[in-house]
Amino acid sequence: MFSRWNWVACGFYLVLNICSPDASGGLVQSCGHIIPESPVLALGSNFTALCILNESCLDFGNIYASQIIWKIKNKLVPKEQYREINRTVSSVTFNDTSSLATPLTCNILADGQIEQNIYGITVTVGLAPEKPKNLSCIVYQMSKLTCVMTCTWNPGRHTFLDTQFRLRYSWPEEIFPDCIPKDVNNSCTINDIQFFVNTEIWVEATNALGKAESDPLVVDPIDIVKPLPPQNISVRSEVLPTVLKLFWENWISDAVMTLKFNIRYRIVGDTNWIEVPSEDTASPRTSFSVQGLRPYTEYVFSIRCMKEDGVGYWSDWSEEKTGITTEEKPSKGPPLWRIIDTSHSPASWTVHLIWKALKPFEANGVILQYEVTVRDKTSLSSPVKKYNVTSTNHTLELREGTYEVTLIARNSAGASPPSVLLIPASNSKAPVKNLRTLPKHDKLWVGWTAPNSYVLKYVIEWCLVSSSSDCVIEWQIALGDVQGIDLKGIKPFKCYLITVYPLYADGQGSGQSVKAYLKQDRPSKGPTVQTKKVGKAEAVLTWNHLTVEEQNGFIRNYTILYKTIDGNETVVTVDPSKTEYTLSSLTSDTLYTVRMMASTDNGSRTGPDFTFTTQKFGKGEIEAIVVPVCLAFLLIVLLGVLFCFNKRDLIKKHIWPIVPDPSKSNIAQWSPQVPAKHNFNSKDQMYPEGSFTDVSVVEIEADDKKSFSEQDLKPFDLLKKEKSTSEGHSSGIGGSSCMSSPRQSVSDSDEGETTHNTSSTVQYSTVVLNGYRDQTPVQVFSRSESTQPLLDSEERSEDHAGGAGSTAQRQQYFRQNGGQDEINTDRPCFERAKQITHANEGDLVGFVQLQISGQSSQPLGLGMEKITQEAAVSNILQTCTEGQTVRPETVEENPLSVDEMPKSYLPQTVRQGGYMPQ
Amino acid sequence: MAAADSPSAALRRRDLCSRGIRLAGKMRADVIDLLDAYVEQQGLDASASVAAVEGVPLAAVERWDEQTGTQRLLENLAAYRAFRALLAQMLEEQREQLGEADAGLGRALAAVLLQVSAFAYHLEELLRLESRGIPGEEEEEDGPPPPPRLSLFEQKLRGLGVLRELAQWALRSVRDLRQLAKPSPATGVAPGLVESP
Repeated sequence: MFSRWNWVACGFYLVLNICSPDASGGLVQSCGHIIPESPVLALGSNFTALCILNESCLDFGNIYASQIIWKIKNKLVPKEQYREINRTVSSVTFNDTSSLATPLTCNILADGQIEQNIYGITVTVGLAPEKPKNLSCIVYQMSKLTCVMTCTWNPGRHTFLDTQFRLRYSWPEEIFPDCIPKDVNNSCTINDIQFFVNTEIWVEATNALGKAESDPLVVDPIDIVKPLPPQNISVRSEVLPTVLKLFWENWISDAVMTLKFNIRYRIVGDTNWIEVPSEDTASPRTSFSVQGLRPYTEYVFSIRCMKEDGVGYWSDWSEEKTGITTEEKPSKGPPLWRIIDTSHSPASWTVHLIWKALKPFEANGVILQYEVTVRDKTSLSSPVKKYNVTSTNHTLELREGTYEVTLIARNSAGASPPSVLLIPASNSKAPVKNLRTLPKHDKLWVGWTAPNSYVLKYVIEWCLVSSSSDCVIEWQIALGDVQGIDLKGIKPFKCYLITVYPLYADGQGSGQSVKAYLKQDRPSKGPTVQTKKVGKAEAVLTWNHLTVEEQNGFIRNYTILYKTIDGNETVVTVDPSKTEYTLSSLTSDTLYTVRMMASTDNGSRTGPDFTFTTQKFGKGEIEAIVVPVCLAFLLIVLLGVLFCFNKRDLIKKHIWPIVPDPSKSNIAQWSPQVPAKHNFNSKDQMYPEGSFTDVSVVEIEADDKKSFSEQDLKPFDLLKKEKSTSEGHSSGIGGSSCMSSPRQSVSDSDEGETTHNTSSTVQYSTVVLNGYRDQTPVQVFSRSESTQPLLDSEERSEDHAGGAGSTAQRQQYFRQNGGQDEINTDRPCFERAKQITHANEGDLVGFVQLQISGQSSQPLGLGMEKITQEAAVSNILQTCTEGQTVRPETVEENPLSVDEMPKSYLPQTVRQGGYMPQ
Repeated sequence: MAAADSPSAALRRRDLCSRGIRLAGKMRADVIDLLDAYVEQQGLDASASVAAVEGVPLAAVERWDEQTGTQRLLENLAAYRAFRALLAQMLEEQREQLGEADAGLGRALAAVLLQVSAFAYHLEELLRLESRGIPGEEEEEDGPPPPPRLSLFEQKLRGLGVLRELAQWALRSVRDLRQLAKPSPATGVAPGLVESP
């Protein structure tokens, strides 16, 4: 209990002690303090700090040195580094100050583990300054009277502390103010410099850990001067064309120092400087004559200076000044050449004299004019002609011959030596051999092998080959002892035509030419290929040569690449001289894509694609097919015509039968009982017996029904429908020869489908009589089943049906229709007909019986639907019924039922010229 | 004369002479430039005649070529010490009169003052090489009495006189040092020929 109160009182006391103002004046009275206070320590050294507690705190706070703990930036220092010196003093030791940080605090650990800070210090760690090294000074001349001295040094390592550098200098008996660097620590500039006195200069570096001085530099500032370069330079040309005189001003007084100089110069446009020998300018001066210069050449001069004894520094080079030397007469004659134009007349030459302007170092001035002299060597009596020319060419009209041309260039100083060119009548001398070229960087070397004879000089002509403009000739003269020159100004990727002429003392050799490129590239475009002719298995391709501008080099070959759409590409290499190529072994009627590639030594370029399609037939194939076909066709037609011509009667009979005019028929003659207007009868009468030459029977099975078109089948359906609604309808004329049995007719109505089919069967029989061809009216028509009542009924039907009935009847001349299902049922009828036919074979020329299921019922069906009305139908029905009643009497073998409508004509035995009742 | 016993001493002497000659030459040039600026600045007439400056030995002597080297050095040293004091006084008066208004003139005066000091140092070194004692400053202090209080115009005139005399002395010093720099040791017998500076 006591202890607790004791510690509480102790803490209160500490707080009070720290916070209450001290009577001595401080706001805070600490319970202790640290020695040393805010030290600056050398990096890497050891350090010991002491924390000393106040005695008053011992008495009232009950705290002792043993309770002290040390902290670096809130990090506890290991207790091994503590040492309790006495009850109020604790020390801490650091072997290496690099582990120190700020702040270092002394704390009390009271009972109850309460930490109380007693004191803290700031620790600064750094390095002492190193000795500045490499001190050097230069005195810069700033103006005529002002010099400053700038000294630089190496400040040494970084100290991590605020380190002051000062440049100090002194005379033996006088110390000058220090120079303190601004913003830097390695240089300083002194403005007050006195020459001719040895001055001791040194650098002093100072910080909290120490001071260091550089080695002193003892120097007379005059020995380290870098003077200003000479000013106001002027250049004056002298009388001699090879001398220029320089003048300048020195900006440093001779009283201070005497100077020596360096003079350099160069030709304007040249970059290389030439220096005047230094020994020539080693003494003080303000002018100098530069000799050995080129006449009429502009030079650039520059001067620098330094102390005469060579101690110190050279000044910068002065500003550049130019001067031009005076003129001198040209040193050589201009190179001369000619181009002879004999195009208009071989005997009359147009001679273009051309010469090159002299180079500046040859012209030695401004060329005022050229003097051309032409002497005819073939005629000594001919006067010498002189021309004064200001340009570099001159054109002469000369007769064919040998001439000597002399050229002189003249400037203000005099005339050049003459250039002589011999123009022989012919270039009959030996040419150069083995002309060749070789690119060398940006120059094109042209080499040749000299002829055996002595050559004065060579003329090398070259020109840029162009497809759009003429070859503009450039030329150059080479001495006779050389066998190759470099052509300059040659552009890469351009074709040049180079010609070399040897010039002899007594004539000229013929020129040898070669084409060359300085540098080749791949063509700028590829050839455009197209077809000239396309066949079945071959195609002829054509293209144009690339222009020389597009070639960019020598075309080594063309490559043709062609392929089908899905095929492999085929490659063909073609000689570069060709412009046409035939592709063979192509597939007929196939689309081909072809393109063409031009290649130089440095690459290739492909032209645009071109497509073509080979022909389906080869040449003559179509003719070989068409002509025989046409011939065959013509032959067939011819044969057909002949056949038709021969069989014209038969054809006419089949195709264009002569239809008797009913109006001209006479029923009275045909049958007294039958009215003359009965068309049916009159028709029958028109076919005399035995007029058919043949008989054909066509049977079409019901299964084949589907082979007919839907339209064909429609009437059959209609018929079926009709049959379902009104059974026993009769067709044609009064059921005169219906062969359906009555039993079948009964079953038709009673037995459903089979019966229906049976009832839908319509049979026609056509009886064509002989004699229609000669239009002989049939006098008698005999119907086997005809009775008077039938005729009556027919007549009634005719009356009801009107014209439609007659139409239906006309169609019934050649056809007899019936359903397939009725074949069996019809068979008795058919057999019977056959029997009849057999019986009357001699009389019957022929008949046609058609059994067409479904389709053949159309004429009848239509007639039934469209024409015959119910009344008519009922009449016909009635007629049929009546006929039926008659039939057993006349044909016992054909027992037709009452329901079975007589829907067909039954072939009857008809005798010509009479009606034979059956 | 015990001078120039060793080669290094001879070399040192020659170097000092050479440097001193050039310094004197530069000093003369600077003083002449300063004279022009001073006359203009002070509003004086360049042709104004000025009485001899008190305390400064006259540069012109009658039997100059008969003087010994030591004698020359001592006379030079006395003159330049006097100039140093006078120029320092002039510089102070100049600052009092013009303040910082004409810093250029003040800088030029200070530069000449430095050159005078430097030349005096050269002379002392040469005297040391001659193994002669250097007169003490006390001697100098005893020499020229303190100048009487002068009016402003009198100060300007005196300044003009100091600079003119300094220019004369610079010329004479060049001649003296050239004489000393000659290979034959200066034993007090001057050569017959007199060189102009």
